[in-house]
Amino acid sequence: MSYDAIVIGAGANGLVTAHYLARAGKRVVVVEQRHAADPSADIGWVPPRVVRDLELRDLRLEQPDPWLTAPLSGGGTLELSREIGRSTEAIRRISPGDAAKWPEFCQRVRTLAGVLEKLYLAPPPDIETRDPRELARIGGLALYVRRLGKQAVIDLARILPMSVAELLDDWFESDVLKGALGAVGIWHLKQGPRSGGTAFNFLHHHAGSPAGVFRPARSNVTQALEGMKGVEVRRGSRATVLAKNGRATGVVLEKSGEAILAPIVVSSADPRATLHPVAIELDPEFARAVDNIKARGVVARGTLTLEGAPSYSSLCIAPSLEYLERAYDDAKYGRDSAAPYVEVQRTDGRLELHVQYVPYTDGTANVQRHQALQQKVAHVLGVQTSQVKLQSPDEEELQRGATEGHLYHGELTLDQILFMRPVPGWSRYRTPIGGLYLCGAGTHPGGGIPGAAGRNAAREIV
Amino acid sequence: MAAKRYDAIIIGGGHNGLVTAAYLARAGKSVLVLERRPRVGGAAVTEEIFPGFKFTMFSYVVSLLRPEIIRDLDLPRHGLHILPLESTVTPMENGDYLAAWADHDETRRELYRHSPRDAEAYDEYGRLMHFMAQAVKPILSMVPPDPTSFSPGDLVALLKLGRHFRGLGGERLHALVKLMTMSSADFLDEWFETDVLKATKSASGIIGTFLGPRSPGTAYVLLHHYMGELDGVFRAWGFAKGGTGAVSEAIASSARAFGAEIRCDAPVARVLVKGGRAIGVVMENGDELRANIVVSSLDPRRTFLQLLDSDQLPDDFVSDIKRFKFRGSSGKVNLALDALPSFTCMPGIGRQHRGAFSISPSLDYVERAYDEAKYGEFSRRPYMDIVFPSMIDPGMAPPGKHVMSIFVQYAPYHLNGGWSDAKREAFGDAVVNTVESFAPGFKSMILHRQVITPLDIERITGLSEGNIFAGELALHQLFFLRPAPGWAKFATPVRNFYQCGSGTHPGGGIMGASGRLAALRILKDGK
Amino acid sequence: MSLRTTPFHARTGPLSEGQAWRRWAGYVVASSYELSHDREYHAIRNSAALFDVSPLYKYLVTGPDAARLLDHVVTRNVGKAKVGQVLYTPWCDNDGKQIDDGTISVLNEQTFRMTAADPTLRWLHLNSSGLNVAIEDISERTAALSLQGPSARAILQIAAERDLSSLKYFRLTSAKIRGIPVTISRTGYTGDLGYEVWVDAPQAVPLWDALIETGTPYGITPAGMLALDVARIEAGLLLIEVDYFSSRHALIDAQKSSPLELGLAWTVATDKVRYNGQAALDAERRRGPSWQFTGLTVDWDSLERLYADVGLPPRLPSQAWRTSVPVYDRGGNRQVGYATSGGWSPLLKRYMALAHLETPSAATGTEVRMEMTVEHRRKQATARVTPLPFFNPERKRA
Repeated sequence: MSYDAIVIGAGANGLVTAHYLARAGKRVVVVEQRHAADPSADIGWVPPRVVRDLELRDLRLEQPDPWLTAPLSGGGTLELSREIGRSTEAIRRISPGDAAKWPEFCQRVRTLAGVLEKLYLAPPPDIETRDPRELARIGGLALYVRRLGKQAVIDLARILPMSVAELLDDWFESDVLKGALGAVGIWHLKQGPRSGGTAFNFLHHHAGSPAGVFRPARSNVTQALEGMKGVEVRRGSRATVLAKNGRATGVVLEKSGEAILAPIVVSSADPRATLHPVAIELDPEFARAVDNIKARGVVARGTLTLEGAPSYSSLCIAPSLEYLERAYDDAKYGRDSAAPYVEVQRTDGRLELHVQYVPYTDGTANVQRHQALQQKVAHVLGVQTSQVKLQSPDEEELQRGATEGHLYHGELTLDQILFMRPVPGWSRYRTPIGGLYLCGAGTHPGGGIPGAAGRNAAREIV
Repeated sequence: MAAKRYDAIIIGGGHNGLVTAAYLARAGKSVLVLERRPRVGGAAVTEEIFPGFKFTMFSYVVSLLRPEIIRDLDLPRHGLHILPLESTVTPMENGDYLAAWADHDETRRELYRHSPRDAEAYDEYGRLMHFMAQAVKPILSMVPPDPTSFSPGDLVALLKLGRHFRGLGGERLHALVKLMTMSSADFLDEWFETDVLKATKSASGIIGTFLGPRSPGTAYVLLHHYMGELDGVFRAWGFAKGGTGAVSEAIASSARAFGAEIRCDAPVARVLVKGGRAIGVVMENGDELRANIVVSSLDPRRTFLQLLDSDQLPDDFVSDIKRFKFRGSSGKVNLALDALPSFTCMPGIGRQHRGAFSISPSLDYVERAYDEAKYGEFSRRPYMDIVFPSMIDPGMAPPGKHVMSIFVQYAPYHLNGGWSDAKREAFGDAVVNTVESFAPGFKSMILHRQVITPLDIERITGLSEGNIFAGELALHQLFFLRPAPGWAKFATPVRNFYQCGSGTHPGGGIMGASGRLAALRILKDGK
Repeated sequence: MSLRTTPFHARTGPLSEGQAWRRWAGYVVASSYELSHDREYHAIRNSAALFDVSPLYKYLVTGPDAARLLDHVVTRNVGKAKVGQVLYTPWCDNDGKQIDDGTISVLNEQTFRMTAADPTLRWLHLNSSGLNVAIEDISERTAALSLQGPSARAILQIAAERDLSSLKYFRLTSAKIRGIPVTISRTGYTGDLGYEVWVDAPQAVPLWDALIETGTPYGITPAGMLALDVARIEAGLLLIEVDYFSSRHALIDAQKSSPLELGLAWTVATDKVRYNGQAALDAERRRGPSWQFTGLTVDWDSLERLYADVGLPPRLPSQAWRTSVPVYDRGGNRQVGYATSGGWSPLLKRYMALAHLETPSAATGTEVRMEMTVEHRRKQATARVTPLPFFNPERKRA
């Protein structure tokens, strides 16, 4: 059986790449380490272009309204809705001043997220290029931004490097509002809300959402892709890249030792895990840059079991920016947050947990730590420990191989985005090894935009 | 008495104001500098707080002073003499130390002792930083172009800047992006494995900021400090003979030699504005002085919210200035000593006392010091940069005695409950006790102690919130955003009123760059 | 003392008559022991000179992938070398520009000792991702002496109590000198008959004593760097930071050189598949390097005339120089290169220099003009391109 291309990983990005390649006439096999499909929801904006191009039929987008519920200290909750007016009213009850600023904040931030959306559906601008077409594209982007108005240009320059705490402190006074919004700014970052770059992360997760909605959409895009014909999927074994004399030759399945050969190998797995086995083929500076990719997992994911269905779609336990900052402080010294940030996301009847900070330590599973963490989270949620199931980044790495258990395969810090992602100068999905490509969350545009990287990579390959 | 009308009145005799005065006077303008305090210098002053002991009250080392200013104003002739600061010793908590010496081979050997690979990485790192400093240097001497404008001048400047960066080539351009965005700890993690080395280096990334070594944005400050030029040698720190006050005096002397007039004990209340134009100043005692232009070297908050009425400025500009961050985070402890302290890690008195001691034994140590400040407390075990000025310039203390200058972080301006005399003393105690833990017996050598909190810095020098850079060096308020978008070219919304202090590009440190660029702008405007 | 002393310092220190020391890799070594270096130089060509070369950086590379690592790093084919062979080789960065040069001694199939002029531990580590190899810095615990000159073999045979005539050029063997285990390699930096002796640092002083005692009847002479410098120029051997800059230290591209530009094309293997800089070197080989490294011999008459013009006899440099001087074409107007090392060869009675010339001007016999300052004025002396080495005695390989 000879293939034109092998794709490692049957997540959204891997499958998207596979299907694009298949549509271009290639014979594609996808190798996936998990036996069964991952039941958890896909978090993030699925670019409509991908849906159209691949004619994704069974895609279900969860667009909850209200999109966030945050408990208030005095009792009751703050519910933020898709309709800006309704949110404004909800906010007015806790701070009239904040309510007055809400609509403008939503508009200004939406404009900036629009810039990101434009950047995400193409490879990152190559600022070092001499190619006139690429230069024209960059010029076009610059013009687009400038046409958004002076305020947008200034906002972009000011907000991109800022901390989400500073951004929110500039606008609002309510702790619970700032905590709820700021929380998404620290997703998958080993930084607190007062750290620079978290405002960018906040914007990143706003891409694809309408104004006033600051949580990414949830969907079943991976499941929908799995149901499509056109590519072969082989499950059950981790695959390692094979390369010789600077060219990729295929993969070897770890369990059976079977080698599958193909001239093109595309990996949606994290760059470090992908490239480590073929490090000898890489020049030392590139290998060093790969080693230097910061992917410090800090998120424990899992599930919550409740007796009945809760009323909320997303429950956010982040009472203030200071709460989040203190949670981060613990992580700096290698400890799980004494008072963690917990978010419960309900999709299709499943209640999924996102907990920060649970820093990756050394790749071993620690039973005591695991127990303590579950207890803590259960306490925060006011449930029994047995109702909480969590997987720490250490466990994630052990089971799935993502380096340091980082779901995005590399933190979305300002030095690891655009032309710097995954390795500076190698942001167009290629690697120095001929025929070996990357297409996962570790590439542009990063995690939380399922399928975007997959599509961009596929278009580079064909 | 005929009211003299000056070409320019400069409010504030800090080093930037003096530089502006000197350049304008050199161009033949009649210049008057008005300084509130009894002496010029602002935060670059040397004062004999206790008889015989000269304290470099606030700033204490020089390296960023622009070479073109030293040349243009002939400062060596006016008394500027910079003595080399040749080493840094970092005591470690286990009794060991990390030292960086002037000699390359010695330093290599010392690093090798801690980590053979770091010893080699150090050279590579040094080379990279050299290139980075070279790459960024042109930006220090340029007026920031405005990317929101369509004016041909701005577009040309932006294109030139773009071309300059593209010309760096891949490796250096990427390094520059990293330096602009990363935390100093993360940036150094890519190069080194020795924790105390990373801690000491990243400490220069937190100076004057309200950030910790793990905070993104500190790698930029690391680079900013790396650009120190001394006799053409990048990144060589020195101590001015007579302290940093001597730097200010040299600039003042040069300005006077060019014909500028400098008045001390002359506090200005506000700027006189008529028909949207600045026409002079009003002193605190009510006197009015006239000038063609007025220049403020004060920080942006004082310049715009104190010297002017808010109805003289556009609303969005006022909001931008109000939003400009100043959070002071540093304090100073100046001591008169009977004898030099002996540090446990390197017992005795030796050449190490002619250099600096850095109390930064580990990244966690410095980060914890920051944690306390985040929540409104001063660090119980703070980061410190210690020098003994009398060891480099014996004239700073009576023979056989010494002065000790301790720069401390963190001491937040917004302290929980506010700064009181008791809190000041407690802060001083924390500093002294920490030094004692690394140099037992030190406390018994203290003859006199002066503790300066950010509130003291603000009260004495005027620097808002005691921020030593006249506004934080954070990416979102740098370059064309400093101090406010659209107003980064040293002019202000009030015609004939200019700004020349560290709150403008390129920011703080004793650079003089702002003062010079402002003067050049004024001269270009034909004023 | 802030610089290190070598393991031989207890012996070399007292020998210094003029306290003429210099730095090498953070160590103090003698520039010359006697008040002038002349006798020390002549010992190299006439009897035997003994040099302390301990400051070299030395690394022990061991393990199943040791040869693979070295083959990845250097340009020569290490995998094909035999046990007991010593390879002289440069190594390059990814653009084919030379980082350093040194030797690799094949101690056994999985054990190699590498020498380098600059610290190289980190570079070896960076290249070893995914390889089963151990890299140890043995610089400080290994001392080394270099014995060079026509009597070198005789002295060493007596000291080691065995016949060394079968030890071929650039081969090594282990031996015992007065019971001290040593490695003897037939290598050196003088282009003459010579050997380097490698020993564990604690045994350095006894080794020195043994060699001095054995060699004194044969005229063994401790010699310093000044003498070595003249000999190495006669031998046409490069010196890093003088004749070329490590690409790791170069500030601009023009300061970098490839091995092909340095006359080291013979060290760049064509039968190896993957090593740092390979693609760039292959391409450069196809187009031909733009520069050549050659010898220059200054024409005596032209030199004499320059001095006679100002009424002086010719002044020859008493020591080799290491500054760079421009070299012009025959007309004296267009610069075609530069000479980086030079001096008078007392043996060959010639004023020689090592130069980098643009390829079109580098053919043997080409006449060029080399700049010389005579009584504060810049003049040019005629010189001819001479193949390297200047001196290549039979005994070197015999």
